[in-house]
Amino acid sequence: MNQLSLAGLGRLAALLFLGMPLAGALAGESGEYVAVPGGVFQSALRYEDVKDGVRIASFALMRAPVTNEQLLAFVKANPAWRRDRVPSVFAESRFLSHWKGPVELGPQALPQQPVTWVSWFAAGAYCEAQGARLPTWSEWEFAAAADETRTDARRDPAWRERILDWYSRPSTSALPRVGLQAPNAYGVQDLHGLVWEWTGDFSSLLVSGDNRNQGDADDTRFCGAGAISMKDNDDYAVMMRVAMLSSLEGADATANLGFRCAKDLP
Amino acid sequence: MTKMNSIAAFALAACLPCGAIAQPLKPGVLPSDSVYLLPLTLTDQDGIVHEWNSYRGKPRLVTMFYTSCQYICPLIIDAGKAIERSLTPAQLQRLGVVMISLDPARDSATALKETAAKRRIDTARWSLVAPPAADVRAAAAVLGIRYRQLADGDFNHTSVLILLDPDGRVLARTEQMGSNSDPGFLDAVRRATDGGP
Amino acid sequence: MKSLMTCLAFAVLLAAGCSRDSSTSPDAVSMNSGDSSGSAKGDFGPPQGEPVKAMLTSPPNVPPPTGRSAPAKVIVELEVIEKEMAISEGVTYTFWTFGGTVPGSFIRVRQGDTVEFHLMNAPDNKMPHNIDLHGVTGPGGGAASSFTAPGHQSRFTFKALNAGLFVYHCATAPVGMHVANGMYGLMLVEPPEGLPVVDREYYVMQGDFYTTGKYREKGHQPFDMQKAIDERPTYVLFNGSEGSLTGDKALAAKTGETVRLYVGNGGPNLVTSFHVIGEIFDKVWFEGGARFQENVQTTLIPAGGAAMMQFKLEVPGSYILVDHSIFRAFNKGALAILKAEGPENKAIYSGKEVDEMYLGDRAQPNLAAVATAAAAASSGKLTVAQQIKAGQALFAGTCSTCHQADGRGLEGVFPPLAKSDWIAREPEIPATAMLHGLQGKITVNGKDYTSVMPPMSQLTDDEVANIATYVLNSWGNPGGRVTKDEAAEIRKRPPAK
Repeated sequence: MNQLSLAGLGRLAALLFLGMPLAGALAGESGEYVAVPGGVFQSALRYEDVKDGVRIASFALMRAPVTNEQLLAFVKANPAWRRDRVPSVFAESRFLSHWKGPVELGPQALPQQPVTWVSWFAAGAYCEAQGARLPTWSEWEFAAAADETRTDARRDPAWRERILDWYSRPSTSALPRVGLQAPNAYGVQDLHGLVWEWTGDFSSLLVSGDNRNQGDADDTRFCGAGAISMKDNDDYAVMMRVAMLSSLEGADATANLGFRCAKDLP
Repeated sequence: MTKMNSIAAFALAACLPCGAIAQPLKPGVLPSDSVYLLPLTLTDQDGIVHEWNSYRGKPRLVTMFYTSCQYICPLIIDAGKAIERSLTPAQLQRLGVVMISLDPARDSATALKETAAKRRIDTARWSLVAPPAADVRAAAAVLGIRYRQLADGDFNHTSVLILLDPDGRVLARTEQMGSNSDPGFLDAVRRATDGGP
Repeated sequence: MKSLMTCLAFAVLLAAGCSRDSSTSPDAVSMNSGDSSGSAKGDFGPPQGEPVKAMLTSPPNVPPPTGRSAPAKVIVELEVIEKEMAISEGVTYTFWTFGGTVPGSFIRVRQGDTVEFHLMNAPDNKMPHNIDLHGVTGPGGGAASSFTAPGHQSRFTFKALNAGLFVYHCATAPVGMHVANGMYGLMLVEPPEGLPVVDREYYVMQGDFYTTGKYREKGHQPFDMQKAIDERPTYVLFNGSEGSLTGDKALAAKTGETVRLYVGNGGPNLVTSFHVIGEIFDKVWFEGGARFQENVQTTLIPAGGAAMMQFKLEVPGSYILVDHSIFRAFNKGALAILKAEGPENKAIYSGKEVDEMYLGDRAQPNLAAVATAAAAASSGKLTVAQQIKAGQALFAGTCSTCHQADGRGLEGVFPPLAKSDWIAREPEIPATAMLHGLQGKITVNGKDYTSVMPPMSQLTDDEVANIATYVLNSWGNPGGRVTKDEAAEIRKRPPAK
């Protein structure tokens, strides 16, 4: 696990911010990465193999989800990923269907909104083009445990209430721009309350279609293990994310699912 | 060449989603829903390197496993063999089997070869292969297989047999392992290996 | 309920017209035809043969049928043991038990048996205990005659006059506490002809538990009397601990088998809505009595009551036993598993056959909403009404998570914005709070708040202006307007206070 000195962190952060316009930084311009110092983390999921907690190496995470505008630039530079050219094995037919055209956003897709209707393969390709990758589930969970002032707010019932509030917002209200919400204690925005996000290892969330079967004895389902169960039933954020990601395949896309990228730190 | 660029190259080679069944494909062009479109380099039990798309041309059973797996993976092999036993000699000749390792770190060519020998696998028809570690997740994603690596290096994973047509389209899947074949899946294999070249 | 009453009424009418049914079919006699005349006809005379020592079993197992055809003298020896056991992973609790388990040992006798009941109180125990068996006809159900100090044993004898499935529990004061600590179990009094033979019989008992700590809070947890009085359980469990019947301790069965469950509810407080996910009860002897209902999905078992149900397993899989007051199952632990192994039967249950795309009638975000979102970033050219609309969309995108869509906040945590006397003092307050944050104690509408609102420096001047204008004009606030320039100017000020 990398241990970054404070000075090293500052230098690295400065490097990552290099070239970003000041106004953009003020408004939480996406495309920026922040350094998230790692640690040992108790997941809300019950992992039989890492009972003492998951080790998270320090990593860089995009401050906000990838926007329509950013994905448009990628598609223009990589026309094989146009929605009218990409093979269906990598992206289903509704890929970027909210755009007016293959390389045109149109009025339904504002440039600063988080991009949705994007498949895991497309998300991974975008990140790779930036010299980055999708975050792992553990990295996501680690960064998302924070609220504005604490790196782990999960025990706070008020924080959990806020998470639940997002689920009552109907999908017919237009998505706000990325970076509208206050940054969390790591400086990362919109991990909650905006869109679901792909992780690189979304297919490692082994759950049963009926996730009432917690503690099920069926060890044959996943070759030596039953379905993953929750350790903390009150962590609704995790519970819903696991349910969501475990229902998807790599070519799938939905109206409320986007992504952001991560990078290893040296 | 980055993975993304190579996906692009292959995508351009793919048929546009244009009712690929209705129109005859130009040789060399893969249909839009072919799993072979994923750029992937595989090393088999003899140390020979194959491109994933070189497996096109005949119907195949495909799965993912790892050699150190004591639990279900032997049953995956049994399932494949049981299917084969229920085919006629002509059907058997037309079918190929590919087992892709989840665990390239430990599944060297030697390890794969040992497993093939131990489980009495005919490597004339079966290929045991390992992808680069960075590509395992993408391979699993095109096949719809889910897995998690454990702290001790073992894996929890779904056990699936997938039937691909000669162009890499998924015809059928089964999660029923062991020697009692899933009758629906077996039917699909028979139909896929009937007739043809 | 109505069909149940009709069914009972019908059965009674049938019985009234004819003499006691002499059929020897176990289903017919005393089960839905005629009535057994209860305890009046339950005395089959003195016990015959040598006294029999009752075979007691620990849950989830059930002793085999007595196989008797004549009344016997049955010796039951039950020991009370107070012991610390796990109630959940990493959580221990001091249980008071009959026979060392929660629920206590299962007792199986036949109607008409004479039961010589010995109650032993282990010498290490702290408390005196007794027993009230609901199957006993006599004062206290035996409690009056079994009050036993630690290191003592007592004995009383009763005749089991009524057939049925009966709860037993400790009745020493404070009774609620003894029951809440796990002092309950079941006694089956078989009808004289016995119960129909089935392939598997299992013993499950639900109970509610009250600890001072929260659900799954680690460590040793004491009993919480106030929560018990207020009927706010921390755990609702089958067989006394979370996971007692899951994983490798799941109940086992095979397809093609008929399973009978003897299910009790020790309480102390809750009634259970007992259901097995994926199965239907072919027969339920509701309330543990002589009659059965058929084709039941969920059955009520009163606190201090029991029910018997049986069902045939056709399809392999995991069948989850729950209290269908569903938060008890998933947030308090009322969950157990019955695992059926065997060949698939796709004709009965196919499994997921299809998972494909569904295009549906896509409810796109309406264009007006999107236009508003676009306008949200350009307050300079908007009318007040347009600013309010844009501000509302922005508010929903961030502020509402704490202050709620209707501005009511969260009592004691996030102050309300609705009809706020704090905001009414000065129209610049919403914009100032957004730009510079708010710390320290404030009093809003008579209540104190000491949370921290971080500065929302991620908002642009346009956005601050629009949100502030929206807040000032909503929920009874005094109105007003904030322009982009005003927001920029407030941003430049050093944070006051």
